[in-house]
Amino acid sequence: MLLFRSEETVGGWCNARGLPKRPLVSLDQVWVLAREWYENRLTVDSRRPGSDEMVDIFARIGLTGPFWDPKSDRRG
Amino acid sequence: MLVLISVKLAIYDTFATSARAPNVSDIAQKLTAPIEDVQSAFDELHGKRLLVPEPGDPTRIRMAPPFSGVETPFRVTVGDQVYYAPCAWDSLGIAAALHADALIHTTDGHTGEPMTLLVRNGAPIPEPCVIHIAVPAAHWWDDIIYT
Repeated sequence: MLLFRSEETVGGWCNARGLPKRPLVSLDQVWVLAREWYENRLTVDSRRPGSDEMVDIFARIGLTGPFWDPKSDRRG
Repeated sequence: MLVLISVKLAIYDTFATSARAPNVSDIAQKLTAPIEDVQSAFDELHGKRLLVPEPGDPTRIRMAPPFSGVETPFRVTVGDQVYYAPCAWDSLGIAAALHADALIHTTDGHTGEPMTLLVRNGAPIPEPCVIHIAVPAAHWWDDIIYT
């Protein structure tokens, strides 16, 4: 999960490796993910979100489809 | 269960306060607990995806997300402490976990251009950038170190 300056440099990274370009995530979206995953991580009850919770979190910020489904058997 | 929670909290407390990864021996000493019990807790936390052991050495921690036990391209400064994160998402995760302002130094994944992100007052300052996740969610933990 890498940071890039622009979509163009993402394309360069993918081309250099022969990998498909995946959906891009904005800084605001990844900040939501960071908070959902980690803001309680240092507490007694902390845990990683379950699969269904992940789907809900992704959907709330517009990340939908098989790529974002942790139970999908497709490569997205 | 009590041991598991105590070990989890001790691991994360060590990362948060010292920015380094504890091993089984460190946590056993900290909790005055048997090494075998702490190792079992490490294994269980791995199963819960709260810890990734060092490949080939289950007594050591490669990462307890969002913290990395080894230096990475994601350097996160919080106050006078310097942490490393496994990835872009987790670099912001350190700020979220510590509920603190953070300065993240990294580079563009393709060009190597130095980039910085700043989290201040509970949110990142807008910066021209995008995050690319190469692996679909269903396969993140097939090889989480690569992901």
